[in-house]
Amino acid sequence: MPESNNQRITSVGIDIGTTTTQLVISQLTIENTASGSLVPHVEITDKEVIHRSQIYFTPLVDRDLVNAVAVSKILESEYIAAGLTPEMIDTGAVIITGETAKKENAKAIIDALAGFAGDFVVATAGANLEAIFAGKGSGAALYSAERHQVVVNIDVGGGTSNYATFHEGKAVDSSCLNIGGHLIEFERHGDRITYISEPAQTALETTGQRLQVGERVTLPQLRPVVKAMAECIVEVLKTSVHSNLTHKLLMTPPLQLAHPIRKVMISGGVADYVYAEKEPERMAEVTVFGDFGPLLGWELKVSLDSAGFVLEKPNETVRATVIGTGTQSVNLSGSTIHLQETTLPLRNIMVVSPFTAVIPETPEMIAEVIKSEMIQLQVAQTEGVVAIAMKGPRTMSFLDINSFAQGLLLGMQDYIVNAKPLILVMEADCGKVLGQCINASATHPLEVICIDQIEVDNCDYIDIGKPLMGGRVVPVVLKTLVFNR
Amino acid sequence: MAVANNDLEKVIIQSVMEELAKKGLLSQKGKDHMMSAAMMDMPFVPNPQSEEMVTFPPQEEMQIDNPFNADAVRAMKKLTPARIGIGRAGTRPKTMSLLRFLADHAVAQDAVFLDVSDEFLQRMNLMAVQSSAGSKDEFLQRPELGRRLSEEAARKIAEKCEKNVQVQILIVDGLSSSAIEANIPDLLPALMQGLKSSGIKVGAPFFIKNGRVWVQDHVASIVNCDVVISLIGERPGLGTAESLSAYMIYRPDENTVEADRTVISNIHKGGIPPAEAGAHLTDVIKQILSAKASGVKLNQQK
Amino acid sequence: MILKAKVYNKIFAFQSLKEVMSKANEEKSGDELVGIAAKSASERVAAKLVLSNLTLEDIYNNPVIPYEEDEVTRAIYDGLNLRIYQEIKSWTVGYLREYILDHKTTGENLLHISRGLTSEMIAAVAKLMSTMDLVCGSKKIRVQSHCNTTLGIPGTLAFRCQPNHPTDSVEGMLASLKEGLAYGSGDAVIGINPVEDNVETVSRLLDTVKNFMVKWEIPTQNCVLAHVTTQMKAIEKGAPVDLVFQSIAGTQKANDAFGVSSAILDEAFALAQRKGSATGPNLMYFETGQGSEVSLDAHLGVDMMTLEARTYGFARGYRPFMTNNVSGFIGPETIYSGREVIRADLEDLFMGKLHGLPMGIAPCYTNHMKADQNDQEMGTLLCAMAGSNFFMGVPGGDDVMLSYQDTSYHDDASTREILGLRPLPEFEQWLEKMGILENGKLTERAGDPSIFDK
Repeated sequence: MPESNNQRITSVGIDIGTTTTQLVISQLTIENTASGSLVPHVEITDKEVIHRSQIYFTPLVDRDLVNAVAVSKILESEYIAAGLTPEMIDTGAVIITGETAKKENAKAIIDALAGFAGDFVVATAGANLEAIFAGKGSGAALYSAERHQVVVNIDVGGGTSNYATFHEGKAVDSSCLNIGGHLIEFERHGDRITYISEPAQTALETTGQRLQVGERVTLPQLRPVVKAMAECIVEVLKTSVHSNLTHKLLMTPPLQLAHPIRKVMISGGVADYVYAEKEPERMAEVTVFGDFGPLLGWELKVSLDSAGFVLEKPNETVRATVIGTGTQSVNLSGSTIHLQETTLPLRNIMVVSPFTAVIPETPEMIAEVIKSEMIQLQVAQTEGVVAIAMKGPRTMSFLDINSFAQGLLLGMQDYIVNAKPLILVMEADCGKVLGQCINASATHPLEVICIDQIEVDNCDYIDIGKPLMGGRVVPVVLKTLVFNR
Repeated sequence: MAVANNDLEKVIIQSVMEELAKKGLLSQKGKDHMMSAAMMDMPFVPNPQSEEMVTFPPQEEMQIDNPFNADAVRAMKKLTPARIGIGRAGTRPKTMSLLRFLADHAVAQDAVFLDVSDEFLQRMNLMAVQSSAGSKDEFLQRPELGRRLSEEAARKIAEKCEKNVQVQILIVDGLSSSAIEANIPDLLPALMQGLKSSGIKVGAPFFIKNGRVWVQDHVASIVNCDVVISLIGERPGLGTAESLSAYMIYRPDENTVEADRTVISNIHKGGIPPAEAGAHLTDVIKQILSAKASGVKLNQQK
Repeated sequence: MILKAKVYNKIFAFQSLKEVMSKANEEKSGDELVGIAAKSASERVAAKLVLSNLTLEDIYNNPVIPYEEDEVTRAIYDGLNLRIYQEIKSWTVGYLREYILDHKTTGENLLHISRGLTSEMIAAVAKLMSTMDLVCGSKKIRVQSHCNTTLGIPGTLAFRCQPNHPTDSVEGMLASLKEGLAYGSGDAVIGINPVEDNVETVSRLLDTVKNFMVKWEIPTQNCVLAHVTTQMKAIEKGAPVDLVFQSIAGTQKANDAFGVSSAILDEAFALAQRKGSATGPNLMYFETGQGSEVSLDAHLGVDMMTLEARTYGFARGYRPFMTNNVSGFIGPETIYSGREVIRADLEDLFMGKLHGLPMGIAPCYTNHMKADQNDQEMGTLLCAMAGSNFFMGVPGGDDVMLSYQDTSYHDDASTREILGLRPLPEFEQWLEKMGILENGKLTERAGDPSIFDK
């Protein structure tokens, strides 16, 4: 059959964290897996990492501001090393994590990377997303699916610890704690403190320790505060009643702990020290990278052991997040969808989910719900592109789909007069017929993009890429631009 | 009847007791005793108005007693529609597994052996004709009969159907009447809407009883259409008896072979939902019309 | 050769041996469809009467499809032991029936004369046998074969674990496999019917099953039931194939429709010997069924039962590890009812065994036949009593990929326990090691697929 049954796309993942910046390039194989007489079913069938960058220290202008130009230089040199040009990159994501995830950084990085990162590389952030990418990259998601056991992945980096709980391959819980191995900085291989971050200061105060910048410390002097931090990390796994310190350092709501937890996996820069054979014995061993990561790793292992958790080894440690970002950020839509190809790609589409409970029966009532949601969100219907997200129509009957189409047209009346595309994203498998109904009901020609089999829970923005496989599917990146703090 | 009889019985007992009591032949205690004895003899009276009923537990329920890893069994059940994680009574299936199997087979057999109802055909406004197979038994045992229209059907189609249309839609019971009743109400309007809004000329759809796929060739020879599409009930499995297939062919003739047909199968609420299938089939028919070919010949042109 | 018979006051005359053979059959819808079945009960008996009086030589001299025109006929005649044939050619078919049933005749005796019998002779005698005759005759014959383990040992009953999945999902397949093993099913073979007949799918399934067998040290054989040419390509690419599978039929025309021939099977067998992963010497797995020639319109006017016998004649040259009969799978136009299936299963089991084949039966049915699970279970028990080497094992009896019903994992365990039969010895040891079986009975732990998920 000349119509190709598979396609390969190149995806880049870039992780810009508190301490390190890295990049991986992967090749994703997209295939129609449905047999001859079935309606096509396109899915990602293989993910292969083809290039791993060096691990760079994140280039900074000052303590809080990333040097975006230097980041783009890193990218350029790594593309050359991988033998790729930006045009060869089909998709991917930049994830801005930890302490770096501040608005001004994100903006600068996106601007600097434009042109370097291919046609459809998007910026994402958000502690929950980061935690989930890390757990997918570390192998925790796969472990939970293969062993049928709940596992929590904690990505312990320079500034944060990101938790994601996986059950049968799916993330079911996540949280973020402001603890990482780089919160206090030292002279490399030395014992003199060069910087104490705010969360570290909080930890010091709560534990009654007094350490100051410029001071030289011994291992016994440093250990209590690091031990306290390690115990905070473990506490989040154990209980929802938190000590004062944990409470202060939580950056998101805590883990809900709906699933009993026994298995724990650690990824991130600190992970290698969790799985180390022996503990650091001298300050020079602790500060090998100018921080206290090795000690935090060891103390974390001790705390987990004594709390009775079973440590499982990840497939990736320090690269977990970037691999997760590069290989897991892209979702594929369902394989029977409705779209006009020329409009795509579209970025930063704001997601509006008007239907919280049941979907009303009549077009008028459906329109009412949409209108009031648009007003409530103060979406000026003259600005920006919006996607209406929902589980699906009231039922899958043709009558309900048709009423739904009419309701959507009515509710989005003011929006579509501005010649903006009507974008719909839903979970139920009826994108094509809904698109057809909308076009049949519309009084004048209208751009309709109607994609299905995509869950958009808890996501604020989406990007929709250029169609793949002869227009059968589109890549969709779900993201949030709500940065920490 | 049972209720009436019991009431009568109670009335009789009561009046006898009252008579006895009047005559002082009965203590209060004895009266209670005899009353309750009478009540105990009364059989349980079913209440046909009650909403209570017996049903199967959910299919995904894990039925193994004390499994080694219950989560694993649940997860395995999600990975396959096969009947696993169903437990056992000795070496035999549990009662609910046995009854569910019987129910699924019963539904499958009914789908094959019962006809599409007249009420359904009227509601969908479908003209009905029949293949040369006179009965279900004949239809099942003599495949060639289901591939030809009866003489009466051929006459009726020649008389009533519009000729030289681009697309003729047939609804054919095939091996599952249930598939027709379950899917056509959502599939047909979606398909008609799609074809009409693309400006394609469509003949009025009609129904063929006891038909097989090839009967479409006979119809096409009478109405002289470009594309004939049969929406036909698939052979039921125990998983679903409602699966429908669409067979499409461009201008069939006596040299037509199986490979000339384009097929889309597995249309039902658990596969591709019927309304979505209608929209998808619109696209497929458009491709066939523009390529002037179907089946393998269509694929070669893509 | 007398082709005329009188049944009480009615005289019936037949034109050919072929006509006698078809009219002597018990009622089946496929013979009716082709128009070669007896027109009345009396005619049926008359045909049986004529047949009983014919000699084996009469049958030898009148093959239902000429030697020159059909390679199945050639395989049957070329493989015949003429010395044994000469010794018995004067026997009538009626005498052959009594010889088979005689107390003095052993299974060894039957396997000896088997080499001098053509497929048509075997079909002919089976047409004279009642249900219980067929069970008695079948029970005498045990044929053993060896791939990685030995199939057909007296006192054992084996099962093919058939963990099919409607989209070839490896994880879904493994889930059904674990369930089957937990019931003691899978000693004959772990055999999967793929949806997609391509090298990638076949290799992926073969690798997965082989790795699982290695990881859990399961003594059995693996097989993916794709077309033989697909399996050959998979072998060439290094996939681990213990058994090479193919569906075969009783005419060259039907085999052409299946895309097989002697030449292809010879090549497949040679490849399995050179590059297959099994111990051997038996490396082939065949499936057959009454009616396949009818549904392919390749019957050449011969009845379904005789064609089925010819299929066995074609198979025996390849010394298969297992031959499985799936007559109930073909459809109502060939076999309509539960009664017809049970009869066909018993005929096929007997005919296969008398051909010296390691026979198993799939007493199965589809949803457009007038048959149900009760018929299926009766067929299973009768065939088990008749000494079938193996049956299938399908989760809950419902094959979710092929959409038909067959012996369930539960039935597998039940049949063994009812008749006091054991798994193949190596596999029984493995089941005991896994804590699934104890003294031939399922343990408390059995039936739980999650024992493989520590």
